[in-house]
Order: sequence, then C-alpha cells, then structure tokens
Amino acid sequence: MDFENMNPVKNPKESRSNGLSYQQLLDTDSREVPDVLRMQSSRDLPFVRVPIDRYTSQAFHDLEFEKIWKKVWQFACREEQIPEVGDHQIYDIGKLSILIVRGQDAIIRAFHNTCLHRGRALKDRPGRSLQLQCPFHGWTWNLDGSLKQIPCRWDFDHVKNEKTSLTEIKVGTWGGFVFINPDPNAEAFEDYIGDLPSHFERWPLEERYIAAHVGRIMECNWKVAQEGFMEAYHVASTHPQMLSAIGDANSQYDAWDHFSRAITANMTPSPHLRKKPSEQEQLDAMMGVSLDGKPSMTVPEQRTARQTLGQLSRMQLQGLVPSVQDLSDAELSDSIYYTLFPNFHPWGAYNRITYRFRPLGNSPNQSLMEVFYLAPFRGKRPDPHPFQLLNAHASWTEAPQLGSLAKVFDQDTLNMAAVQKGLHAAGHQEVTFSQYQETKIRHFHSLLDQYVKS
Amino acid sequence: MKLRHALSQAIYIDQEDGTVLVEDPNLGEGVFRINGEWIRGKLRDADPHMLLFVGGPKLAKPNHSRTSSPNPKARCLPLGSNSNAPGSRSHMELGLEGKRVLITAASRGIGQATAQCFADHGCSVALCARGEKQLEIASQNLKERGVQVFSQSLDVSNGDALKNFISEAGEALGGLDVYVANASAGAGPGEEAWQANFDIDVMGAVRGVEASLPFLADSETASVVFIGSTAAVEFLGAPQAYNAMKAALIAHASDLSQSLAPRGIRVNVVSPGPVFFEGGNWEMIKQTMPQVYERALAQCAIGRMGTPDEVARTVVFLASPAASLITGANLVADGGFTKRTSF
Ligand code: FES
Ligand SMILES: [Fe+2]
Repeated sequence: MDFENMNPVKNPKESRSNGLSYQQLLDTDSREVPDVLRMQSSRDLPFVRVPIDRYTSQAFHDLEFEKIWKKVWQFACREEQIPEVGDHQIYDIGKLSILIVRGQDAIIRAFHNTCLHRGRALKDRPGRSLQLQCPFHGWTWNLDGSLKQIPCRWDFDHVKNEKTSLTEIKVGTWGGFVFINPDPNAEAFEDYIGDLPSHFERWPLEERYIAAHVGRIMECNWKVAQEGFMEAYHVASTHPQMLSAIGDANSQYDAWDHFSRAITANMTPSPHLRKKPSEQEQLDAMMGVSLDGKPSMTVPEQRTARQTLGQLSRMQLQGLVPSVQDLSDAELSDSIYYTLFPNFHPWGAYNRITYRFRPLGNSPNQSLMEVFYLAPFRGKRPDPHPFQLLNAHASWTEAPQLGSLAKVFDQDTLNMAAVQKGLHAAGHQEVTFSQYQETKIRHFHSLLDQYVKS
Repeated sequence: MKLRHALSQAIYIDQEDGTVLVEDPNLGEGVFRINGEWIRGKLRDADPHMLLFVGGPKLAKPNHSRTSSPNPKARCLPLGSNSNAPGSRSHMELGLEGKRVLITAASRGIGQATAQCFADHGCSVALCARGEKQLEIASQNLKERGVQVFSQSLDVSNGDALKNFISEAGEALGGLDVYVANASAGAGPGEEAWQANFDIDVMGAVRGVEASLPFLADSETASVVFIGSTAAVEFLGAPQAYNAMKAALIAHASDLSQSLAPRGIRVNVVSPGPVFFEGGNWEMIKQTMPQVYERALAQCAIGRMGTPDEVARTVVFLASPAASLITGANLVADGGFTKRTSF
C-alpha cells in the first residue's frame, strides 16, 4: 500500500511530552523498522469534552443500540472457533442474538438466532450440528438457512418454503476474525475496515490461534471499560510499578477512518521518573522481578534492556514466525494497540492481545470485557483454549492462562466500577479528554457522534 | 513480593498475614489491607493499585505451559515444557491443577521434592514430618509457590496422630485427591528395625489409606502412591527388615488396587533405587563406607544415582490423572540399578 498518501507528519508541533519521541526511539532500533511504525497520522479531531450521560443514561444506551450495534460491522467470533461444517457460535449484543454457522459449502453465514415459528432462540450455546433445529416444536433449517422441514407440514399450508429461510445477516472476515453487520444496507466490510489490513501485513493474525480467551463482567459502561485500554496516560497512576520499563508519556497516537492506534514503547524508562533506572532495573521491572528477588536475566554489557528483551523474544519466536531475525526491537517489545470502531482492539506485532468490549444485556452500567491471546503456532493449528467467564468480583488471576498480565488487568479493573460510580455521582455535565494522549478516545467519540446523529 | 512505587518511591511489601507494609521515604511506614484499609503506622494512605498488585490474589500457576511467562529458573516442570513451544498441544497435561495432595515425611529428600513438584503443578499440599524446623522451611518453600499448604509435625508411627492429621488436612484443603505414603524408618539392624519398619513404612501406609479413604472416595481422580524400594525386589547386600517390609508394602498396594478400583481409587508403588542427595543416606554411605558406595554406583546402568527430583516426577506422574489406566503397578525408578527383567 502507498503510505505516502497518508500525509505522514514528521514533526508534529502539538502537545508532546519531553523526552525521546517514539520516532526518535525507533532510530535506535537494532533492525530496520517497518514503514507501518514510521507512519503518523495527521487528523484534527473534535471533542475534548463529551457529556457524561453518554456513559450513564438509559436513553443514550438505547440510542447506541439502534444507531451503533444494529448498524456497524462488529467482531463476532474467530474462524478457528467454527472450523468444521455445522460448527456454530452465538454472538449476543444487547437484545440481538446472532448465530454464526459454517455451511456444507464451508461458507460462513450469520442469521438472527430466532426461530421463524414462534420465535424461540434457535441455539442456546455454541456447538456442531448438521441442521438447525428449533428445540421447541422442531422446525428445522439447513445450514445455509433454507427451510428443511416443519413437523406436521399439513398444518402449515400457509407457510411457503421459499419464504421461510432464516433471516441472513451480512458477514465479513479479516485476520481470522468473523465480523457481522445486522444492517441489511450496511456498507461493504472491506470499505469499513479500510486500510487496517495493510497495517497488519507483517503480523498476520489469521496465522494465530486462541491461546487464551477470558471474559469478565464489568460493573461499568462498556465505553468506560474500553477507554481504560486506549491510552497510556493512566499508566503512571494505575500501574506505577511499571514505570521503569515503559515510555508511557512518549507514546504515539494516530487515528484514521474507522480505526486508531497507539504505540507505547516498552523497555525504555518513563519520562515521569526523576532518576533514570539502569538497563538491568528496566529489564527487572518488565519481567516483574520483586525488589528482593533475583533477576531472571541479566543485560549483557554494551547492550540495552530493549535489545536484550528483543533478542530473547526473537529466540522464543524462532521457528514460529518467518524471518524472525529481521523483526525490529520495536515489534518485539512495544505495545501497538489498534482500535476498530466501535469495540474491537487487536494488537499489532507479537504482543498477542486482542480485546473486545460490549454492553451486557440492556444496561448502561454493565459490560463484558474479553481478552484473547492470539499466539503463533507451528504445524497443525491447536484447538482454541476454552472460554472462561469471570464474574464481576473475580480477580483476573483466577484465569492462570493469562499469566502475569492478570495482575495488571486487576489494577485496571480497580478503576472501572469506581468510574461508573463517580459518573453517576457527578455534579458537572462533561468529562474531558487530553489533547494528544487521549487521541484514540476522542477519535472514538467523534465516530460515535456521527453514528448516533445519523 | 516487594515493589517500588516509581513516583512516590515508597516500597510495598506483602506480608505473611495478607497485609501490605508500605515504607514511604517521606511519610513513614504503614500497614494496610489490600482494600486500602489502614491498620497501623504513621502512614495513613497508600496507592490502591499498588496494594492490589503486591498483596492481591497470587497468580495461579498456568495449567497450560504455553501461556506462562518465560521462567528460566530450574523448577520441577513437565519435561520439555517451554513457554513458547510450538505445537505444545502435543504435551501431555498431567491434569493436577487444583488437586489436593497429602504426603508424609515431606521435609527433606524425596518427600520434599515430591511435595514441591506437586505444588509446581498447582496442587495444594498437606505435609508432615518429625522435625519442626525443617518442616517449617519446607512448608514456607511450598507457600512461595503460591499454593495452599497445611503442615503438622508428628511421628508417623503414632497411628492416632497420623489419622488426626489426615482428617484435619482433608478438612483444611477441602478434600484429598492424592495420598503419598513416603515415611520410612530406613534401613537398620536388629529387631527394633523390624518393629520400626513395620510401624512406619507398613502401618503408616495402611493407616494413611484408611484415614484418607473418606476424602479419596469423594475425589474424581483419586490415587494413592506408596514409596517402595528396589531392595524389595532384588537382593541388596544383606537380609534386612527394611527390604522385607517394603515387599509387604508392595503386596498390600497390589491388594488395595483391586479392592479400591471399583471406587475409582488407583493404588501404585514407586520403587526408587539409590538416590543421592545432600544429607541423604547415600551421602553418608559415601563418606563412611566408600567401597559400598562405589559398588552401588557401578551397578547403576546409567552411570549415576538418581536425584530426589527424578523420583518426584515419577510419583507425580503416577499420582496424576494422566496415569488414569495404571493401578497395582510397582514402578521401578532406578536408572538400571536392578537387573531383573520385570514381565
Ligand atoms: S418456536 Fe421454534 S419450532 Fe416453535
Ligand atoms: Fe492499564
């Protein structure tokens, strides 16, 4: 793709933190850095303030359902979750329930998860079946949605076979993800995601498998939850143990049509620190080594912590990822977190994370946060790790498959219900966003605004 | 865990009793619950995120090695486990995560290594031993692995003490899935040795099974492992009570395996050959009777004696759901020390 047309801005003169910019840090990389990390968007975004009731009011929640969830392309499941003919998954969003099915012809289709007789949900849970049979009276459809049979057919003379196909919903796929759009007049999926696939050319997410999939019920609006994962501004206060090894305030933020991106360098000290930590201290902070613990790795002389971690990751990815020796330190260390409007957050390079956030049921005060770890593999694709759902009071550490990040998620989660509480208790009308570091959130709200006003 | 708050420079230290001690260079010290509640000290306010991170729930051990973070420290992990191993799905899962294990005489040697190996696979562990100090060290060591630990110092030859310990342990851990009878009086001369080996090696196992039976019967994956010895299956230097009593143990295990199979409880024996470790028998023999040591060493086909870890892995495998088809076996782990062919 042609990155020239993106108007890269070399020296944006807007608000920026002191210290090495992300682009300057890239200059110190031990490998050639891919163009995609060199890109910077230029985009003026409206809204440094939005009304609080976007997060709290039932009216706005209902409006979102009509204008967003019924209208946009959204990530429903992974292709690997429905590999065989007849495999199906259910994607519930607000009042909608959508059945995603792999047909006899291997094509993925989506239907409203509703029986055309008296309306029972066709499937209660994901599974595999060669026909779609309603458990209530047994009306049955083929996997392509065409009617197969009605028990006591003589009693339904008025029902015409050709008019009794399941109501189909648009499907699009990218990167091993299956997207659906409930709006029959929706724009093409390819137009909606735009250039996003080209950003991931070097890191094909279709060649990953679900190594972990954990959900947790959050006692807050879905936007409160997801906005906690769209900036590095909160790191200093919410994850203060990480500052030795994270260039939080030097993150780079970009926004394009329907998607945005942040890049936060790891293995570089935060500009918040008065005293620069040693390379070893940076590595220890990254590896979560306790102050009285023994370092699990030492930084060799003449090397930086960043290069050391890069080399370690190259060793670990050897054989799993082609031309691993050419991967830059940036791709091996940094957090490169994309957001596709409205709620899909795939991470770039080899950080494995993908998040999804959505409202739960019909309340503005409850949501579901999901974490996927998408890991590279060699040979036969491993089966997806089973989904684990945590309740609203659980610690992420109850899901050991999340590894050491679970504690970091706990720190983030500590804010969520408290934000929702604070918003409901507010004596003022608006929340406000930073000029630069909250670019992704402002980008999100400008799209949200367009959609709800359309 | 002990971490520094990068901005305030305060140090956060989690403590035994579940509280967090905060040492702030400017504001002094304070002790807090992880929900932020102040308990004592001059410092009255602490960062809730740090309290949660340092003192919050321990990270459970991943049950899939592929999701663990790289840990180059040598620990008793499944052989060949590697955090990023490609196609790691072909790795055998032992299925021990969350199981509850009771093991006797687990403060040193094979018992200690076995307890650690179980803990490293996510099991909670109940252990006993005679020496209080060594037991304390061993249980501390297990706790650091982030699992629940229940320990009591007692003499296994005291049947009532053993039975009490087992029922208390079962209550404390919410059940038992595995019983490992490891306690032994060791080899010795004379009639006292016959009595001691009978009381500890044989009756420790017999009573242990009896007392743990109510818990094991409730487990989905119950199993019992007795630690035998190759001295029971092949002549070892001299006639000894130890050898004969271990043989009795193996015979009893075989009987139990038949009678308990319908209740879903497997019973097996692991018979180690010579195992060398600091403070162990073979170290003593090496110093006091070097010729005996040399002869035994020469007899080990693999050219060395075993380590406690190697026996531990054998026990842990046999005890685990991965060995679901094996019962009534006497698994010899001796590096080719014994020469017979076992059909
Ligand atoms: S509601 Fe589905 S068959 Fe009657
Ligand atoms: Fe965070």
